[in-house]
Amino acid sequence: MTGPAAGRRGPSRSSIATGILLLPAGLWYVLLLVAPLLIVVLFSFGEKARNGGYEPAFVVDNYGQVLARPDPFLDSLRLATIGTILTMLIALPLAYFLATRVGGRKSLLVLLLVIPFWTSFLIRTYSWLIILGPRGAAGFIGDAIGDPAFRILGTEIGVLIGMTYGYLPLMIFPLYVTLERMDRSLVEASKDLGAGRWASFRQITLPIILPGLITGSILVFIPMMGEYVIPAILGYGRTFLIGNALVLDFLEARHWPAGAAKAVGLIALMLISISAYLWFLNRGRRTREVSVL
Amino acid sequence: MANQELDRMLARMARAKVNRRSFLAASGLAGTAAFLAACARSGASPSASGTAPSAGASAPSASASAAAGGEIEDELYIYNWSDYIAPENIEKFEADNGLTVTYDTFANNDELLAKLQAGGGGYDLACPTAEYLRPMIEGGFIDKLDFTRLPTFAHMDPDLLSQSWDPNNEYHVPKDFGTTGILVRKKIVTEPLTSWQEFYDLTTGKYSGRVVMVDSLGDVLVMPLKMLGYSLNETDPAKLDEARQLLMDLAPHILALDSDTYQDKLASEEAVLCLGWTGPLVELRANPDTADTEYVVPSEGTLFWLDVWVKLTDGPNPNAAYAWLDFIQEPDIQAAETEYNGYATPNVEAKKLVSQELLDDPAIFPPEDVMSNLEGADPAATDDETRIAVWADFKSAIG
Repeated sequence: MTGPAAGRRGPSRSSIATGILLLPAGLWYVLLLVAPLLIVVLFSFGEKARNGGYEPAFVVDNYGQVLARPDPFLDSLRLATIGTILTMLIALPLAYFLATRVGGRKSLLVLLLVIPFWTSFLIRTYSWLIILGPRGAAGFIGDAIGDPAFRILGTEIGVLIGMTYGYLPLMIFPLYVTLERMDRSLVEASKDLGAGRWASFRQITLPIILPGLITGSILVFIPMMGEYVIPAILGYGRTFLIGNALVLDFLEARHWPAGAAKAVGLIALMLISISAYLWFLNRGRRTREVSVL
Repeated sequence: MANQELDRMLARMARAKVNRRSFLAASGLAGTAAFLAACARSGASPSASGTAPSAGASAPSASASAAAGGEIEDELYIYNWSDYIAPENIEKFEADNGLTVTYDTFANNDELLAKLQAGGGGYDLACPTAEYLRPMIEGGFIDKLDFTRLPTFAHMDPDLLSQSWDPNNEYHVPKDFGTTGILVRKKIVTEPLTSWQEFYDLTTGKYSGRVVMVDSLGDVLVMPLKMLGYSLNETDPAKLDEARQLLMDLAPHILALDSDTYQDKLASEEAVLCLGWTGPLVELRANPDTADTEYVVPSEGTLFWLDVWVKLTDGPNPNAAYAWLDFIQEPDIQAAETEYNGYATPNVEAKKLVSQELLDDPAIFPPEDVMSNLEGADPAATDDETRIAVWADFKSAIG
């Protein structure tokens, strides 16, 4: 007897419930994403206050500075791109091995992969100072090739090694998940139909793991673009990336508007490069239904 | 052996001895400040110069100086860097005046400033680094001092007074100071090295690629500006352009900009020259392999930092605060301070009582002829846009 009434009330109650359930996420986005972004954009048109910080104004000088000194942006873009490709090349075989070849010891091996990352990021980065230093790999290679001045630390190679190592898990895990879920019989079928190893990888495995590859590469690329600790430590402060330029603006110069303009520039650069990347991939698989992201 | 190195590095981080310079030292990495600031410690460990004479014991009672303001209160609250006052001096002050001193610590100047901005905390005295005087004065957190109540202020070295941070010497009593200079591995660098010019020539010449500099604008700019004979606080674009040229020529010869682990680069002989601070010296000298490390205060002059006593406006015990400020600068009391913390005293009378070992150490006391060439950092210059631009260009060019 209360049926129809309940039926009428139902939708409105559920829409209220939906609203309440979405409220935390909505607040999260507005307060911690939209509002800070707007503040950054606002600050980027301001001027530096006397004791540092922000003073309201409307000037575009800060953006002129960004265009006048593009080197940190270009260096970041170049290193993050190379670093992303390197992590991809290392993570793909590793994830494939973990997902398909180790049977019952899978979880143990995944755990072993994670454990080093329970240590502080800084400690791990400092450890590379010893591994790659003149009494470590660089000294060893230097002796081997007869060049005592050979060094890895203080070069872009050192920075790339540090970044690749630091962000590798962010690439491995998305790949591992897609590979683990993959239906192996598809690969067997392709082989039954006469495809070689490379052909079945390219035509079966790669399209299936592509979402994982895309997620992984974006997860790796974004922090690499903003990286500033690794260049300072392993790059000996000789590699000046956009992250280091931001630190200089905000913490040394205390020129928030200049830093905000560079931050906006960084966001724009990332949007452009990630969009281009996705466009490129989607173009390559126009016929497929798998949606990206 | 690699393990030992890591152990040493970690031990140094863990010691977390508060570093009065951390706001400069770690500025490049301030996002992880707490951790890294500990690495960049510039403190001499108190036991390193353990020859403290019993100066405190022989001090005449001098609490009479509190006369002007009336009765000394029963308490005194000091907010300071950790381990920065000789315990025997605190005990003596407590005994002389029948009061209790409460000594709380902060880790860096920003923490102190944040505490004051949040409403104080009821302290009477604090010891910021002098660059922080301006925000503290403008924030109304500290009082002008009544120097008629501080007879021992007369002992202060005039070379350190009247700096840009307090041009008329109204707000502070100097506490300790130190310099930016050149660390050199004498075992390898046998050439004479007494000036910035010689440092520059060796860097661009024989020791190219084996020179490290702290990752700090205010310290590195000292070198070209002083070579050119300008103030290290120079903001004139034309003069800074000359300095930029010198730095650009220098850039390809620099091994690293590093405020946090430069002592390791010196220890491994990867670097043999360093534009830096005195912090790592104690450790380097203690190790037989690196005991040849020396510190040079360049003859053209250099930057000095100064920690200062200030009296907080909301302090509940003003008379005890004045009594302390006068007491701590009595020559024998102050000499005991220097022996305890291993930093140079600004007190010329106290300096006469300090052991010869400390006096002869250029890492603690700059040579007499350089004293008048010392300059403090002008807050107006530290974030000058032209200087920042020179620094950014240098950093881009160095890679």
